[in-house]
Amino acid sequence: MSRVIRQTPAGVCDLFRRQLLQPGPPHSLVLSTRTIHGRDYRRPGHSPDTRWPWEKVRFDLSKGLEGIRKHFGLLKDEFVGQWKGPEGRPLMEHMLEQTQVQWEFRGPESLGQWVVSSDREIGGRSEAYLKLGRNNTTCMLYGTLASVPPRDGETRYSGYCTLRSKQPLSSFNRKRHFDWSSFNTLVLRIRGDGRPWMINISAETFFSHQRDDIYSYFLYTRGGPYWQDVKIPFSKFFLSSRGRIQDDQHALWLDKVNTIGFTLGDKADGPFQLEIDFIALCSDRAHTEEFAYELYKRNPEA
Amino acid sequence: MKVTRLLLRPQHIGWITPFFKPSLHIPLLQSPLPRLCCGQGQRWIHCGSSVCKNKPDSADFRELFEHETEKKDKSLVTHDDLFAQAAKDAKTKANFNRVVDVFNKKDIRRRGHVEFIYAALRKMPEFGVERDIVVYNKLLDVFPKEVFVPQNFIQRMFNHYPRQQECGVQVLEQMENYGIMPNVETKVLLVQIFGEKSHPMRKYQRMMYWFPKFKNANPFPVPHELPQDPLDLARFSLTRIANDLDAEITVYQFPLTDITETGEEIAQPHIVGIQSLEQRSLLAKHNPNRPVFVEGPFPLWLRKTCVHYYLLRADPVPPEEKIEEEPDPELIGPEQSFFYPQRVELDLNRDLGDDDSFDVDDVEEGPVYAMCMAGQSDQATLARWICGLQETNPVLGQIPTVFRLESGTRELQAAADVHHSPEQNAEPGTEQEHIIEEETLRSQGMKQSN
Repeated sequence: MSRVIRQTPAGVCDLFRRQLLQPGPPHSLVLSTRTIHGRDYRRPGHSPDTRWPWEKVRFDLSKGLEGIRKHFGLLKDEFVGQWKGPEGRPLMEHMLEQTQVQWEFRGPESLGQWVVSSDREIGGRSEAYLKLGRNNTTCMLYGTLASVPPRDGETRYSGYCTLRSKQPLSSFNRKRHFDWSSFNTLVLRIRGDGRPWMINISAETFFSHQRDDIYSYFLYTRGGPYWQDVKIPFSKFFLSSRGRIQDDQHALWLDKVNTIGFTLGDKADGPFQLEIDFIALCSDRAHTEEFAYELYKRNPEA
Repeated sequence: MKVTRLLLRPQHIGWITPFFKPSLHIPLLQSPLPRLCCGQGQRWIHCGSSVCKNKPDSADFRELFEHETEKKDKSLVTHDDLFAQAAKDAKTKANFNRVVDVFNKKDIRRRGHVEFIYAALRKMPEFGVERDIVVYNKLLDVFPKEVFVPQNFIQRMFNHYPRQQECGVQVLEQMENYGIMPNVETKVLLVQIFGEKSHPMRKYQRMMYWFPKFKNANPFPVPHELPQDPLDLARFSLTRIANDLDAEITVYQFPLTDITETGEEIAQPHIVGIQSLEQRSLLAKHNPNRPVFVEGPFPLWLRKTCVHYYLLRADPVPPEEKIEEEPDPELIGPEQSFFYPQRVELDLNRDLGDDDSFDVDDVEEGPVYAMCMAGQSDQATLARWICGLQETNPVLGQIPTVFRLESGTRELQAAADVHHSPEQNAEPGTEQEHIIEEETLRSQGMKQSN
């Protein structure tokens, strides 16, 4: 039975979970990660990548030395940080904090933690770019949305632009996760142009078939010149996979969060912009809800 | 009876089609078929056009579908032609319904209904009926009833009539994409067509579960039908972005089209502005030596329409000019009410972990003094807005006003959207140069338009 029938679509765009390791082929404006992993669906107009796998790896002494310096530095930081306290911060701060700023944008290197992509990857025509805001303290995501599906005969819908944080890595490229379990609310300060966005959080999963599970909720922007403070409780996030809301819903487990993403796909063709000041977490003591959707019965009951 | 029917079905799919493939003429098909399935009624037989011609509805119906049967042996996709025929006179809901009726009346077996429904789904936005639940129900009604309902457990276990079920799901998916909530009639139809636990029924249940949950999720709702009048649209958008109940909307200029004595046509664009009391008091405190800027146009999206607005703002106040706000002595001094203090310095009930503020620096931005939307985005129109603002803000007469407009005319922007939107936050210096180019561009554009 095809998956399309089994699940309900919700306009959630399929994001690419894999982390950016090296830039894609030079002809694509948007950095693509798909060509690195596994079989890439080739769109018309793209020449196939006929290089051998070892030709894609750069064997270079300077790269090796750089890697050694970077990874041993990270390892040293990890060891030294242990003495200070959990996650390299003092214990009192760790225990008492009610809010935590997770991402803020100060300088060009902070944009390196993010990956921008659009439906260019599947042959669409949207464009998305990321830059620092006017006084280098905000992040500006802008571009054009075009919801013309690629003429490849199988894609029916298109038109999305996404911004996604990179998977944090510790030394020797081990996966690191965010532990947000002491918080229950996501706080953002944004300035949009009236378009609705979707926030996607992906957490570490146990089985590989859950790889595409993301937890999503809507981010509505007001538009206008004023900043907008948005608070979204994590209990509101619903489970979706490959763009379809799942029948079996579960609350998001916050102890191993991998990435956060913003997706635009409202089918309104034209330019868009979203300015993000910071992304933070807080523990809202007035909010006691664990999960906003029914868990006692599957819907629809099978 | 049922068994023979089931047995017969593969027969004439498998046997007859190879025989008659070379000459697929409907009159030819008619003669051997009744003999094959005698006693079966007309259930599984293709009944030719002559049967339907016995019950004519109207002249154009017959004409329409005669045209279709003519083409049947030429191309596979015949249903697009039906819609193309109907689209010739007018693309309306009535015409769309007429096409569906023609199809329904043509053949009691509804032969080729899956293809017809797919074709109709594609054509719906063209006819402007994509947000109409009645039309969707009518499309679902094209499916023959009770044929695809699984009868026994084996049929129920496997995907019974998968093509038809997929088609039904597709109808529902298009409803979902356009945000149409199915109603009871949809449910009754789905039960009649596919049965209680079919995939389209599941899809219906999922939609009925999730749609009401997110129906009112948007804290800044936008109606589906935006107001047609530009004044109303401007009022709606300005109140939306101002986010202040105290804000006052002023119409500085009503749209007018006049014809002068010389015969020239003068179009007066509308100018609608908004200013709140707080913005007014901020503007009154503005240092008159520093200029204020008219910036824009900035986009605002209301569902699928984009409107543009302009700001009157200033650069951020440099730190040496910042005046420490002296709190009102009445509020902190001994004169304040003891029982209802307006301002308390004590952090009562504050513990170590009670700090809920965020450790971020505020973004340094200049204050916004007023916003407006105008029918034209040239400097003259916006200068009229500033003149209107001076009535309520006399200080504006002393402050130099600089226009920092971008390649703003909407006609221009349609072509150059991509290149100019990134530059909205560019450096002021480059913008100034930009304006000069812009001026020349605009004057040329105006000359051409005149």
